[in-house]
Amino acid sequence: MLAVFWRKQRAAIEGFHPLHQALVHQQGFSVSLPPADWRALVASLAQHQAHVKRRKWRLPERVPLVLVPLIQVLTEDMRGKATLSIAADLRGPDAPGKAGPQQRLPARRPVRSVAQWYAVDPWLRIRAELRDGSVLDVEVVDRVRYRKIHKVNSRGKHKWKTKTKTVRRIAVTRRIAKGAAVARPSAPPPRWIRTRVKSGERTVVQATAKVLANYPEAQLPQQILQVSTETFRWTRRTA
Amino acid sequence: MDEEDRVTPCDVTTGFFVLGHCGRPAVAGCPSCGKPVCAHHAGPDGLCPECADRLAGGPASPYDPRWARGYRRTYYSESSRAYNDTTWYSSFDDYDRGGFDAGGDYSFGGGDFGDGDGDFGGDFVDS
Repeated sequence: MLAVFWRKQRAAIEGFHPLHQALVHQQGFSVSLPPADWRALVASLAQHQAHVKRRKWRLPERVPLVLVPLIQVLTEDMRGKATLSIAADLRGPDAPGKAGPQQRLPARRPVRSVAQWYAVDPWLRIRAELRDGSVLDVEVVDRVRYRKIHKVNSRGKHKWKTKTKTVRRIAVTRRIAKGAAVARPSAPPPRWIRTRVKSGERTVVQATAKVLANYPEAQLPQQILQVSTETFRWTRRTA
Repeated sequence: MDEEDRVTPCDVTTGFFVLGHCGRPAVAGCPSCGKPVCAHHAGPDGLCPECADRLAGGPASPYDPRWARGYRRTYYSESSRAYNDTTWYSSFDDYDRGGFDAGGDYSFGGGDFGDGDGDFGGDFVDS
């Protein structure tokens, strides 16, 4: 009986790319594919808005904001047989299994109790084999602090309030191709980006940034790309 | 000089961080900038992708297959400011300009088409 409802949208979803369906129903996937297959997924995702209106089947916000732009950018730098691996978990930090143990913090009236816990949400991991022979790893992890405060006023009225504070760690590692020339960039990176370089047969450049996630989500892809940029500046060709 | 040597390669810049030239045989010159363009990159009016994006105001949606190419120039400009490193963006421009100068340091002969060639020697440049 229930299948009567939303049947056109349900049929449209069944016609989408399997990973597109996974994003709709599981809000994530973990898969390695060549660039052509990722482009097929992006083409399928582009059809979503036109065919699916139901709120329950909406794509997670980070699909058009982060996932699609990063797929487009990385596949530009890849050859046809290379592999792009993406593990995306867009369920958010409140999903089961992400929260750590609760601890009680000291409280004074009118606060009756304060419970604090952290949730660690590694929501995006990417590995791309680039056409210059280097391998790029991107990892974005949100660490959310929750504080649940219980207040009781003088008339016995109870209030609960939960506050969150999110710190985001963006780590980009590039394993440069064997024998490629590596040179320190002329200017240091912005202060919020930390760089580590490990010399060897394949030089490894790692750029990390820890930022407060209190800016609009629309700036997320730009922020990830800015951290990634640092790893590419070390092999820039000079005239 | 044989026939193969006289084929003009497509000069469209490819890649985002790892830049390269398309290198497929060009079929026409862009009517706007004169850059040699292959059949794969020529737009409906024969325009190269950069000129087509500029005239269209750039692809707005990241779902558009051309989006990364249009966003590249904007991003390089922004990241150059964020890094306070003018050479980061100017080297990209030099590269593009090198496409018009066959003997320049930033011009490349091999091209980067033919996916999976497995030869990483000289047909690309790190950004």
